[in-house]
Amino acid sequence: MGEVITITSGKGGVGKSTLSANLSVALAHLDKKVVAVDFDIGLRNLDMILGLENRIVYDVVDVMEGRCNLSQALINDKRARNLYFIPASQTSDKNVLDTDKVAKLIEDLKKDFDFIILDSPAGIEGGFEHSIFLADRAVVVSTPDVSAVRDADRVIGIIDAKSQKAKDGDEVIKYVVVNRLNQEMVEKGEMLSVEDVLSILALPLVGVVPEDKQIITSTNEGEPIFYNDKSLASEAYKRIARRILGEKVPMLNLDEPKGFFKRLFG
Amino acid sequence: MTLFERIFGAKEKSASKAKDRLTIMLAQERADCAVPYLDDLKEDLMKVIQKYTKVGDINIKSEHNQNIDMLEIEIALTK
Repeated sequence: MGEVITITSGKGGVGKSTLSANLSVALAHLDKKVVAVDFDIGLRNLDMILGLENRIVYDVVDVMEGRCNLSQALINDKRARNLYFIPASQTSDKNVLDTDKVAKLIEDLKKDFDFIILDSPAGIEGGFEHSIFLADRAVVVSTPDVSAVRDADRVIGIIDAKSQKAKDGDEVIKYVVVNRLNQEMVEKGEMLSVEDVLSILALPLVGVVPEDKQIITSTNEGEPIFYNDKSLASEAYKRIARRILGEKVPMLNLDEPKGFFKRLFG
Repeated sequence: MTLFERIFGAKEKSASKAKDRLTIMLAQERADCAVPYLDDLKEDLMKVIQKYTKVGDINIKSEHNQNIDMLEIEIALTK
């Protein structure tokens, strides 16, 4: 049976979809059969980050409403043959998801895949609740700023309340990814450090992704940063995937090399 | 901290301000979240009291200190 991993954050724009895409690609390249599902109903995004937007015929709501078979909606990534993708629907009807139908879809996917990666929408409304409902694990993404950390804290506080696993007396495994860290600013005391964020959110860390301008260009081109071997962010995502598989992998060393004068005067 | 700052003293960095502000804010917000059933409770209370009299509004506050968790319920009646 597959495991459901929900990528969530509370605040929008902190890198949920980028993490969902790259974690999915990375796990697929580690020989796991993966399906990434965009749960941001109405605001489809994961398709473009994965570079699969031109291959969409059916979406997740079509599957749930029985307008197509599951296999018709699954898009197989040609670069990562173990990776499949189901796009979000673009309906503006927020109440289109139905708990029983979501459950049926997830149960079906669990039979065929090792990992089901759910890209949750921002906010704490219905879409978020559906994406967390059947999660085995939740990865909470936060950037090191007050709004993102505050929203992450709020989300962490309600994950268990919305989860079937917690209702059954079990616990959703939760981790934090600190995204878009600018080490230079941290060293100057102008950005919350990873330690600061962790001391506030009190969850285990599963990865630190440095700020990386190449993410923008890779998104422009529709090729996940995973494939860019020169990018530090790419390396960070690869390590997150290995940690998700239970491997102990050291955190990336982001320390800037410093000369004597810089050390003295900052 | 650099040598320069150590000698001449530094003004508080923005990151440590952020951490302090967050810590204080989240302590309050977590206290509010500690009673997730507040809305349901309010609704149920409303139903019960409406059997007997007309309710205007119900205000529930949760308070915590080291020894005791307390719910303060204020029921305003309509005339």
